[in-house]
Amino acid sequence: MSNRTLGLMMGAVALLIVAVAVVFVLVLSGGDDGDEESPRAAAPTEAPDREDADTGDARDSSDTRDDGRAVSGICGENRLITFGDDPATVFDPIQVGDASTAEYTAEIFGGLVTLDLDLNVVPDIAERWEITDGGRVYTFFLRDDVVFHNGRRVTADDVKYSLERAADPANFSPTVLDYLGDIVGVRDKFNGSADEISGVQVIDEYTLRIELDEPISYFIQQLTYTIAYVVDREQIEQDPDGWTRNPNGTGPFRVKVFRPLEEIVLIPNDRYHLGPPKLDEVVFSLSGGSLSTRFQNDEIHIAIVPAVELAGVLSGESELSEHYRPAPQLSIFYIGFNVNQPPFDDPLVRQAFAHAINREAINEVLFFDAAIVADGLVPPNLPGYSESVSTYPYDPERAAELLAQSRYADEMPRIILTFSGGGGDPPDNLQAYQQQWREALGVEVEIEAIEWSAYLRELRRGELQMYSAGWIADYPDPENFVGKLFSSESRLNHGGYANDRVDALLAEAATLQDQEARYRLYQEAEQIIIDDAPVIPTFWTVRHYLVRECVQNFVDPGTIVPKYRYIEIDTSGE
Amino acid sequence: MSQGLAGYVIRRLLWTVPVIFLISVFVFLLLRLAPQDPIDSLLGQRYDDEIADRLRAKYGYDRPLHIQYLKYVQNLFQGDLGVSTRHGDFSVAEVVIPKIRVSAGMNIMAMILIFGIGVPIGVYAALVRGSFLDPLVIGFWLLVDAVPVFITAVVAPWFFALQLGWVDLTYEGVIHPNIILPVFVMALPGVAGVARLMRASVIQVSSEDYVRTARAKGLRERTVVTSHVVRNALLPMVTVVGLSLPGLFTGTLFVELLFGIPGIGREALLAVLGFDFDVVLGLVLFGSILFVLANILIDIAYGFIDPRIRITAARSV
Repeated sequence: MSNRTLGLMMGAVALLIVAVAVVFVLVLSGGDDGDEESPRAAAPTEAPDREDADTGDARDSSDTRDDGRAVSGICGENRLITFGDDPATVFDPIQVGDASTAEYTAEIFGGLVTLDLDLNVVPDIAERWEITDGGRVYTFFLRDDVVFHNGRRVTADDVKYSLERAADPANFSPTVLDYLGDIVGVRDKFNGSADEISGVQVIDEYTLRIELDEPISYFIQQLTYTIAYVVDREQIEQDPDGWTRNPNGTGPFRVKVFRPLEEIVLIPNDRYHLGPPKLDEVVFSLSGGSLSTRFQNDEIHIAIVPAVELAGVLSGESELSEHYRPAPQLSIFYIGFNVNQPPFDDPLVRQAFAHAINREAINEVLFFDAAIVADGLVPPNLPGYSESVSTYPYDPERAAELLAQSRYADEMPRIILTFSGGGGDPPDNLQAYQQQWREALGVEVEIEAIEWSAYLRELRRGELQMYSAGWIADYPDPENFVGKLFSSESRLNHGGYANDRVDALLAEAATLQDQEARYRLYQEAEQIIIDDAPVIPTFWTVRHYLVRECVQNFVDPGTIVPKYRYIEIDTSGE
Repeated sequence: MSQGLAGYVIRRLLWTVPVIFLISVFVFLLLRLAPQDPIDSLLGQRYDDEIADRLRAKYGYDRPLHIQYLKYVQNLFQGDLGVSTRHGDFSVAEVVIPKIRVSAGMNIMAMILIFGIGVPIGVYAALVRGSFLDPLVIGFWLLVDAVPVFITAVVAPWFFALQLGWVDLTYEGVIHPNIILPVFVMALPGVAGVARLMRASVIQVSSEDYVRTARAKGLRERTVVTSHVVRNALLPMVTVVGLSLPGLFTGTLFVELLFGIPGIGREALLAVLGFDFDVVLGLVLFGSILFVLANILIDIAYGFIDPRIRITAARSV
């Protein structure tokens, strides 16, 4: 090393130090670009506050950049970049149990029927179907132009193979009994006592008959779930272990890239029978920095509003407000009671607890009014929702009265509310309930967090006295909420609730073909359940999206439906 | 001499076997005896006893612990680390190796940055010792060191991506300009340590006899500094590089989480949270082997650099 280089090196180091120092001084003082008006005050030094100040500042610079970059940026290409969750299972329709994997699977595969954006059941591989024998027999007439991604034509045999594969005991599908268990012979096949599903018969190349054990009016809705998707027998037999990396489905998209924790890229199936996608590519980014920062930086089309910025976005103060799109979900949060454990074996206690919480206030203070107070179990955007169903209003006096009448008026056993979570404080809303119960009822509820799998295990075994839980619709039918959670026979009825009248209503509704009449029965059952209060419905959830204006026809109907084929990107730069 | 060294290396390597064995047994038991159950978390709300039993049988979780362990070791010797329950039957190697590459790539860049900045700063600080510049420079980097990564990892993207628009935050692989920011954030806290070590080393070497001799024979100050002081002062840095070697392959959790980089730190966290037994076990084994080997390497490297250590090491073990 010569003297000169050493001198240069020292100079460079000094320069670097100065540069870094300048940068940090700028950062700490609120990062004024110097090219704009805003002589903003120095940001507070505490990180959370700085967060808010940041968004304010960011607005100016990224607005100017939007104009300059409109066409060359992400809106210049017909390629949608959105976020995604890492799939929790493989892209095998019969293994899917989680929403993230279902989202991709729904785009790659298709079944006899599918859902449109309004959550109606519409034809997919089946062109039409007939329901006979009082709702016990479904005859599907298949389209003759449906092909797998590799071009092979789909016939009734493929559908039968796919359903039988789902029920094959060697494949241990976690969902087959829930969704297809009503088909004659599925249980036999699943138990290993039959080779075929006797209730699925191929009539001819494009006609398939499915027989049910008894009429189930929501069967067609169940068929929209991934478990009933059609898979390619040839591909699976050739590559039993690796086929899910690039599955040959019948859906609107194919997998181009799948790298766990990095990205998933889907490309269109140009021969898709319901109309090929309009996008050239959909990129689900599973990695990268903060979504909202990337959204502001014009790197991603669709993002979620971060919790810290929600207030600003909702009030219209944030730059992000103009991109804000709320999407009510088909899901609910609730407080569940174990009706066999004291003190909740007394309905009066449960009703008192329901009366004692002020969900409207919690929504306003904690959620910026962005959640929806659940006035029932069935969310408003689900077919079969009725405004006539109502929950116990906030009424602390009545709550105290009910508690005084209960058999635990004098001596309240220890009460533990369990939720699934890690360390740290319980969620704010649970703490709010806790405080409201204390104030209205004088009852001290302890809140306990346990880890997710242990939570599920204890829930399943009926060991939890009181729990905070949630439910997301599997298929858009009230049965999925009212029946699956509260039928005395359902294995998802974790609180041990049993009401003969509810069971009778559910049984009757299950067999009715008249949708309106059926919905009325579910509504009646729903109201009885809420009045009995084995559950306090708290909030229906809303997803808070940020969507770039060049993205057209993006709709989140609140549950998993194939939706990316409708999306277009306006590349005109407007 | 070389025979002694070979024997020493072999002895050390043999010692690693029981160490790794103990670690694997310990971690294996820790995972299996924990209240979590990967099948529970896999099936979630759809848990069904029969399906759960079948899945347990598939992954071998239904067998006695010692059998499970032996089976694991047997597979291990066949190069099979098991499968990831969380990434739907991707093998552990498939899941882990790309993540190791990512983390290693970033760590190497960060290390180059740390030494690239830290060494000249240390030399500079030593040369200006006594003036106000010395504590100013070192103090500045200590201040940087004191800022937690989870602060810089939040502030830096906001500043460089949103305010300046220099970088994007989308992860595009390790060989891409977008990686500069996370690497920079990773490297910043390390600079102070290297700079201070280098400074101390330069100061110490400056008072050595051979430096005095060099000056006495009339060499120019700059030549003395470059070819005598700095060159010798760099020697202790070998230790630092060596000690940070295993760290190269382990992730940096905060940076990986906040920048959403699919590295080994994020993977390890998600694997632990998702009870991905085989992935966690694979990662721990990998990490411990690396650590043990790096320690051996450092000891050997020392021996080459400093004969005193070479002799005692050969004698004592």
